[in-house]
Order: sequence, then structure tokens, then C-alpha cells
Amino acid sequence: MKTALMTALSPPSLRPRLAGAGRVPLARRNLWANKARLLRSLAGIGFAVLLMLMQLGFERAFFQSSLQVIELLDGDLFIQNAHKYRFVTRQPFPPADLDRARRVQGVASVRPFYADWYSSFWRNPYDGKVFMVRAFAFDPDQPVFLLPAVNAHLAALKAPDAVLVDRRARPFLGMGGTATAAAFNGRPVHIVGRFALGPDFQNDGTVIMSARSFANLLPPGAARGVEAGIIKLKPGADPGVVAAALKRVLPSDIAVFTKAQLYAFERDFEARVSSAGVIFAMGTIVGFVVGALIAYQIVYTDLTDQLPQYATLKAIGYGPSYIVGVVLRQAGLLALGGWVPAFFVSLLLYRWIGNLALIPLGTSLYIVGVSFALTLFMCLLSAALAMIRVVAADPAEVF
Amino acid sequence: MSVPLAWRLLAHDKRRTALAVTGIFLAIALVFLELGLFFAVPRGGLLLFDHMRFDLMLTSSQYQYQSDAGAFPAGRLAEVQKLPQVAQVIPLTFAAAKWQGGEHGEWIDLFVIGFSAAASPFTVGDINRQLGTLRRPDTILVDDATRPMFGPLTPGRVVAIDGRPETIGGTYRLGTGFMGLGVALFDMGNFARLFPLRGARLVNLAAIVLKPGVDADAAARALRRSLPDDVRVWTRPQLNAHEVSYWTTRSAVGVIFGSGLVIAIVVGIMIVYQTLATQISRHLPQFATMKAVGYGERSLYRTVAAMAAMIMALGFVPAFLAALWLYAVIRQATMLPAAMTGARVAAVVLASFAIAMISAALSMTGLRRADPADVFDGRP
Repeated sequence: MKTALMTALSPPSLRPRLAGAGRVPLARRNLWANKARLLRSLAGIGFAVLLMLMQLGFERAFFQSSLQVIELLDGDLFIQNAHKYRFVTRQPFPPADLDRARRVQGVASVRPFYADWYSSFWRNPYDGKVFMVRAFAFDPDQPVFLLPAVNAHLAALKAPDAVLVDRRARPFLGMGGTATAAAFNGRPVHIVGRFALGPDFQNDGTVIMSARSFANLLPPGAARGVEAGIIKLKPGADPGVVAAALKRVLPSDIAVFTKAQLYAFERDFEARVSSAGVIFAMGTIVGFVVGALIAYQIVYTDLTDQLPQYATLKAIGYGPSYIVGVVLRQAGLLALGGWVPAFFVSLLLYRWIGNLALIPLGTSLYIVGVSFALTLFMCLLSAALAMIRVVAADPAEVF
Repeated sequence: MSVPLAWRLLAHDKRRTALAVTGIFLAIALVFLELGLFFAVPRGGLLLFDHMRFDLMLTSSQYQYQSDAGAFPAGRLAEVQKLPQVAQVIPLTFAAAKWQGGEHGEWIDLFVIGFSAAASPFTVGDINRQLGTLRRPDTILVDDATRPMFGPLTPGRVVAIDGRPETIGGTYRLGTGFMGLGVALFDMGNFARLFPLRGARLVNLAAIVLKPGVDADAAARALRRSLPDDVRVWTRPQLNAHEVSYWTTRSAVGVIFGSGLVIAIVVGIMIVYQTLATQISRHLPQFATMKAVGYGERSLYRTVAAMAAMIMALGFVPAFLAALWLYAVIRQATMLPAAMTGARVAAVVLASFAIAMISAALSMTGLRRADPADVFDGRP
């Protein structure tokens, strides 16, 4: 440690007077001087950061997975039953309302979207077990999905009881592989193609079919009505103006949304009822506290160990602000050194756990920003607290 | 000798010791938190079964988990009743309906449970006291964990459920678990009026109570022999194990909390090891001196181990109390039944002390090499 400091200080004639005039990278050299300790420190901070990153990732995956369906629908505006408390629940409305919407100026097309979450039972073609799944349906002449794998099978979907299934559904559903004969609600169906979507927290798998097959395969009570109207606008039409016109024309129990509003609607619901936010915030906070403590221990130990060296620095004329600067820079470097590897490990873990749990686990700008800010704050805060401690313990010596 | 010495070493620099204890405290609290979450998930899935009286459970052979239970013909109940070991068979029906009375006019999904008020399968006092109310026409009991978005659950409030006006007769405390945002109980007669298409011909679960002294496993075997294969007979432990495995391995929730738990354990071990190793290495000069004046390695190890155990004990107690508080927060915020169990405390105690001893042993390697001339070098 001393050697590092001494080399760092030579030649003594280059004595920076002001804080932060770090001509000599003292913070970095201090850290480098004991590589084994540095590695231990970075591992400690890195693991705490990883803990936060995982919690942030899980939270994002949870909220993202409920928005997946909306993302897949090819529309500028959406209409649905005004009694709905969230998009992904069954609350159909009469198809006649679609015709009213079609007559509104600026509307290019209004396409029906059918869905079910409670009355759809899929039989695994390989082992014969039956599972609840979600079912989506549309008119193959009026496609509504942004999934190329679905749109490639429009002609085949027109056959009675033809279905497309989700290759990424939970494996126990047996939707992968090459089987073409399966059963839906106890009736034989033909698998005419497969798409890749993946399950979410409520649904294990998805079956997509034509509106006609939907009416055939679902129980009479469940197949009535349209779940949503997917509206495309004419080029140049203003979504806000058209939405207002739609609201005037449609009965009061139909609600009109832009895609952004529909996202917000679903996100609001999740935030209102689900505890995911609380659970993952709790995990993130614990990660932060753990990290702060590790950082505090590191900085405190380092400070007390190097007290004589800092005293030397002071004796040769460096002000307290210079020393404070060195310690804070050291903390900043620790934050960076802990965060970078943790971030890359988190990418691997996201991928691995995401594939295992089949959830949309991945990083985002928000996760990067929040996790780095928390890491930096945690290290700087700990460094500041450790300095206060050391000063309180030994005011005369350095500061 | 080693214990008092360890104590005096710790007491000598109280601030450092406090820091170490805080580290251990956090590590253990973190592990408790993740354990609580991980086990709260299957407990949430088991909520209904945990509040029912039964020795055996009859389900459809398509049974996946409690909320996706499949259905079987009600005719099977009479076949079960015929067995001499069986005292009582109590059928339950499940359905999804819309609660057309959300606080902002929303129509919200409600999980409906139907059973005969003449024979309650529940062990919940609130339910069993209100069976008379439940028997009134179009009257329901609502779980008080039903989300606030359902509006007030005041007795006497009339709510349209799937278009049919139903009166809230009262509330009870069981929990909604993973059944949905809200749960309501219906007497079988009211259930059949609300779902006329389905009626009472199909049953989702049947709780079987055996006569006193009957062996559950033997009765289950007898039932399996006599019943057709569209139904499945579960003993309590089998059903328990099945639900736990569903929620921990098949659901996304299980995988998420499972991986959270693994990470927490790794972080916990790292903190404990680092903290103890730092504590011990700081006392290296003292240990080296002891070695120089003739103390054997064994006695040094005992001192080191005693130090590690003491720090661990000092950190464990507040961590346990903090965990109790965290569990209360989880219960409040997530409505999942997070609870401290004796087995969990024992497991964490054993694991913590095992890690403490391993850390002590690992830091002994440094001590073994300790040479008084070396350790004092460079230290003021």
C-alpha cells in the first residue's frame, strides 16, 4: 500500500494544491495496490448489485408479460367493453358496434378480435393431459396480429377447427414438436402451424384460431360477442380526433383507447392490485442496504488501514478536500467495478432464468439507469459515512 | 479459555464488532426474506386446502392445481359414500363470474366456490358461524381479502353477479391466494341458480372425511380400486406435495422466487464469510503472538470458532425479529401467507453456524502461516 502511494506521489514537486486536481490517479492506484482485497471488494459489491438487478429485472418481466398481447395487436385505436377492468379478461360486446365504428371518418378498418381465458381447455397431444389455456381468434380475411408466423397461415386457418399453437408455451402443454392432431375443449382440432409467443404469469399457453372455429369450439355462453375492435386509421388521420368521434358514435358502455392508453390502462391495473411492485421493491431495497454495508466495510477498513498514509499526505500540504476527493473517487471506482461485471452476469441470468420460467426477462434502459444510480449512490453514501466515522474517531490525525 | 478470550477480542473494538454483526444481521434477514417469499407462494396455492377438513380429496383425473381442478360427474360421490371407511363426502364447485360492482363501475372477475351450507367443508370459524346466512336465497359470503376495487363488502350490499342480484351476507377471513382478485362462497342452491347451465351435475372437488381410526392410505387404496379412472384420490400429504411442486417448479412465480432465493443465499454466504474473515484477520497479530508464546493451533481454532459463533448469534437474533416484521409486511402488502416456521428457523440457524465454522476454518489457513515477525510488519 505504502509503495503504491509513494510511487503515486513522485515527483513531489508536482504537488496539486486543489481538491480534485487528480493529476496522480491516487484513487485508482490505491485500489490496485492490493489486488486480492480489490477482488474481494468488487465481488461483494457486485453480488449486491446483482441482487438489485435481478429484482429490477423480475419486476419488469412481470409488468411486461401482461402487456405482451396488446403489443401483438396491429391497431392504432382499440375499442372494448367499458366495464373491463383490464384488457386481458373476458367481457365481450355486440359485433354491431364494430359497424358503427366503421362509419366514423378517418377509420380505415375495424377488425374483430375474440379471446377467452377461462373456458379453453387444451389436450396435450403427447400425453393426453388437459390444461387451461387462453384462446385468441380473428377472421382470417381480416388479420389483427403482428406475428408473421400467424399471418403466414391465414389460408390454412380457414379450415374448420384448424388451430395455431404457441411453440414457446410451457412444455407440459405439448404445443411444440410436430404433432398435428390435438383436442380443444374435448373436440379434435388440427394444428396447422406454430408461432412463438411464450406464456405469462396467468397463462401457460396460447391457441389461435379463426372466428368460426372459436364459435364452434367454445361453450355457447362463452363464444358470444367480440372482445375488442382493432382499428386502423386512414393515412393522416389524427388518432385523438378519431377517438373523440368514435366516443360520440358508440354507446357509453364501449371504451376507446389509443395503443398507448391501452398500455397505460393495463399497467395501472397491475400497479393497483398486484403485489409484484412491493415484492420486487423490497428485494431491491434489501440489495441496496446489503451493498451499502459491504461498501461501508470496505471503505472503513481501507481508511483506517491507510490513515498514516493520508496523514503523510496532509503533512506535505494536501488539504482535507483532496483526501475526501480521493476517497470518494475510490468509492466511485468501486461502484463502477462492481456494477459492470454484475450487469453482464445479469444478462446471462436473465437469459437463463427467462428461458427456464418462459417469461420476458431482459434488461432495459430503465434497469441500467436505476441499478447504476443505486450502486453509485450506495458506494458514495457508504464512503461519506465511513469518513465521518473515521473523523469522529480521530479528528487530529488527518482532517 | 477460548470463549472468554473470543468475547474480549470482540468487546475490545466494539465499533468493528457492531459492523460485523450488522453484516451478519443483513445477510440472515435477506435469506429469511427470500425464504419467506419462496414458501409463501405454495402456501398461497394451498390456502383453500389448509382451511378445509378432509382426510382424502377426490378430484378429476385432469386435476392440475387447485384453481385448474377439472370437474367430474357428481355421481362419483355416491360411489365414495358407499365405502364403509367413509364418514362424509362434501362436494365443492368452482366457477368464474363477473362481479358487476367495481368501485369505478368495472365488472371484475370473481372466483366462486359453491358448497352445501348443510355440511361445511371449512375449518374457518367466520364461515361456519354464518352458514345460516348463506342458506338465504341469493346471499353470499365474501372473503375479506377481496381487493378494494370490488367496492365496499358491507353486509346487505346487493351486487349483480353475472347479471343476478346477490346480497352480501357477511365476510370471512381465509384469503384469496391464487384464486383471483376476489372470492365468494355460495350455498349449492344459490350456485345452481346462478349457473343454471352447469347446475350440480359437475363437481370440482370432494372432501372425504373418514371414520375415526381409519387409515387414510389404506382407504385411499380401496377408493382407487373401486372408482373409475376419471377421478383421482389424494391423501393430504400427496395433495400438499403436488401443490407445492406445481407452484415451485411449474409456475413462473416459483422460478422467480426460487432464483431470488438462490441469489440471496449466495450473497448471504459471501457477506458472512467476508465479515468473519475480516474480523479474524484483524486479530492476526494477537493470534500470532499467542502462537509464539506456545498456544497450540487447536486452541487458536477454538477461539476463532467461538468468535465466529458469537458474531453469528449476535446477528441472528435481530435478524429473526426483523424477519418476523418483514413477513408481516409481506402478508399485508401481498396477501400471501408468509409465516415463520420452526423448521425454517432451525434450517437457517444450522446453515448460518455451518457457514460460520467453515469461514473460521478457512481463515485459519492464514493463521497457520501467521508469523509474529510478518504480521507486525507494516502495522503501526
